[in-house]
Amino acid sequence: MPLTSVLLLSMALFCIGVFGVLSRRNAIGILLGVELMANAVNINLVAFSRFQGGVVGQVFAVFAIALTVAEVVVGLALVILLYRSRKDVRVDEANALSG
Amino acid sequence: MIVLPPLVWALLALFCPLLAAIFIGLFARYSGRFSSWLSLAAVLTSLGAAITLLRAQLARPERFLEETVRWLPQGGETLAELGIRLDGTSITMLVVVTAVATLVQVFSLEYMQEESSHAFGRYFGYHSLFVFSMNLLVLAPNLLQLFLGWELVGLTSYLLIGFYWRKPSAARAAVKAFWMTKLADMGLVLGLVVLFTHSGGFSWTATLTPEVATWVSGLLFLAVMGKSAQFPLHVWLPDAMEGPTPVSALLHAATMVAAGVYLIVRTFPLFEQAPDTLTVMTYLGAFTALFAAVIAVVQTDIKKVLAYSTCSQLGYMIAALGAGSVMAGYFHLTTHACFKALLFLGAGAVIHAVHSNELSKMGGLSRSMKLTTVTFVIGALALAGVPGLAGFFSKDLILETLYEKRLWVPLGLLLAAAGLTAFYMGRVVLLAFFGEPRSRAAEHAHDGDAAMSAPLIALAVATVGVGYAASRFAALIGASYAFHVGPVGVLGTALGLGGLALAYMVYGSGAVRLESFALLAPVGRLARSGGVDRAWQYGFRRIALGIAAAVGFIDRYVIDGFMNFLGWGTIVLARRLRRLQTGNVSDYVLAVVVGTIALVAWGLYG
Repeated sequence: MPLTSVLLLSMALFCIGVFGVLSRRNAIGILLGVELMANAVNINLVAFSRFQGGVVGQVFAVFAIALTVAEVVVGLALVILLYRSRKDVRVDEANALSG
Repeated sequence: MIVLPPLVWALLALFCPLLAAIFIGLFARYSGRFSSWLSLAAVLTSLGAAITLLRAQLARPERFLEETVRWLPQGGETLAELGIRLDGTSITMLVVVTAVATLVQVFSLEYMQEESSHAFGRYFGYHSLFVFSMNLLVLAPNLLQLFLGWELVGLTSYLLIGFYWRKPSAARAAVKAFWMTKLADMGLVLGLVVLFTHSGGFSWTATLTPEVATWVSGLLFLAVMGKSAQFPLHVWLPDAMEGPTPVSALLHAATMVAAGVYLIVRTFPLFEQAPDTLTVMTYLGAFTALFAAVIAVVQTDIKKVLAYSTCSQLGYMIAALGAGSVMAGYFHLTTHACFKALLFLGAGAVIHAVHSNELSKMGGLSRSMKLTTVTFVIGALALAGVPGLAGFFSKDLILETLYEKRLWVPLGLLLAAAGLTAFYMGRVVLLAFFGEPRSRAAEHAHDGDAAMSAPLIALAVATVGVGYAASRFAALIGASYAFHVGPVGVLGTALGLGGLALAYMVYGSGAVRLESFALLAPVGRLARSGGVDRAWQYGFRRIALGIAAAVGFIDRYVIDGFMNFLGWGTIVLARRLRRLQTGNVSDYVLAVVVGTIALVAWGLYG
């Protein structure tokens, strides 16, 4: 399997993530999109690591996964707070910062 | 007799009133009695110091003393100096100022007693400030310090004219006086600038080229016209009569308006270098003397008569100085200070008793106000130039001076003014003090108590006596004087007596009826019309307010317009830009994505 195929896969995954973030109104959906984008990056790290030799990229990917978990925790905490204050998790309703 | 150096006396005379003014202003003004005693103590100290200095000067008239301190040091150089100059000229004026100020303050103790304690204190605070300002002017060793005093007396004049500030007419009169004199003072400022540019200092002994001398003296004379109420800048002085009458006596008759004459006396070395300015002075002074005398004849307000009379007499002084005689002009200043202060205080006593300024409310006061009548008549006769009284000697000297210089036109004007002066003073005396009382208040009038009577007596004595001090006065200012009977003096005196006689025939015995002056009716209408006043008003409205409107337009529409445009543009732009901030997270994310793609594209292909 050539590198290009893997990169195309990760690009597709990233674009799906971006699309999810942009199109979803549900905060949890957005979080899912963000996760897809993060994992597209992880695929890139692993792929380059595999095709160029060495393990630094893979180690880095493990770190990134751990970090992503922490980020999801923060994100979900925000979603819970949002729900508590507005009884709703649709982000287009939470537009109090509108100019 | 305490022996102190002259400088210490001069500093005492200068700073005691200032300390009193500061103390009254800061602490004592709510206690009227205390303020008045403080002010009186200060001015008495000044008077004592002035008299001590005068006695020393009389012993050695040619001595002079100048002590200065550096002011406004600029690098190693000194831009100007402040200090004290003591010589015959300044000491004489110092005595005149402090003496009249003392008497006026004593008079005010009773005249102003019905004022509230607060107003009483304020009044005496202003008086102390005035004495300091005037002494600062009088003792100035150079023109810059004289200018400081000049502006300070202008300020106190404003404050005292507007003393009854609740009265709109008084407030207007104060502003008018301030405005007119400031307009004239531009001449003093510009004169100082020209003098400094060409001589590098503010000394009045500088030698200038004829052209520069004409400029400097002409500009200084402009300021004098304002301060000493010369035509056409005289219009503020009659209005200044809105102030309390003792103030009119001190500021607007005896001392402050004479500051203009004093300025010329002091800076005569400059004026001497400019014959053109002297000529203008002679003619303008003589014209003012006659012009104001004509107006004085038709006034119905006793203070207004005296105010126009002051304009007229200042015209005499200016004319005399223009003819080159410091002695004549300065001596007339001194005698005038005595008898005009006397007349104003006498008028004050009458107003205090009758509660009106109008001659039509007076009449017959000689029965009940004996002391006031006697002293007022002495003042009036002195002003009319009756032989033996102070005004006679100085007026005679002025007429003689013009006669010697063969200045026929000004001499003619002054002679006519002399006759009119006697006439209008006779009119005032007869209308106010003789005949039948024309109001209930006039029937029940009575002399003032000691505080009002003593100054009248003192000034009456001075009015009788000061004329005989002419030769000592001349020695003090380095001139010479010898009384002699000349044809023009006889003519002037005859005109004066004739004027008095005519006034008696019109207003006393009724031998000549007013209707027989029908030919002169147009002159009377002109004199009553206040044409000069209206011309100034027109000028003020059209020119000053026109310039103000133009400046206002530029400020409002050009300068403010630009600033408002900036503000308006910012607001409009912000209204557009705020739409970007939707509050919707997806929009922000979209912006981030588009931005990232754009950055990457720029990095790859840019």
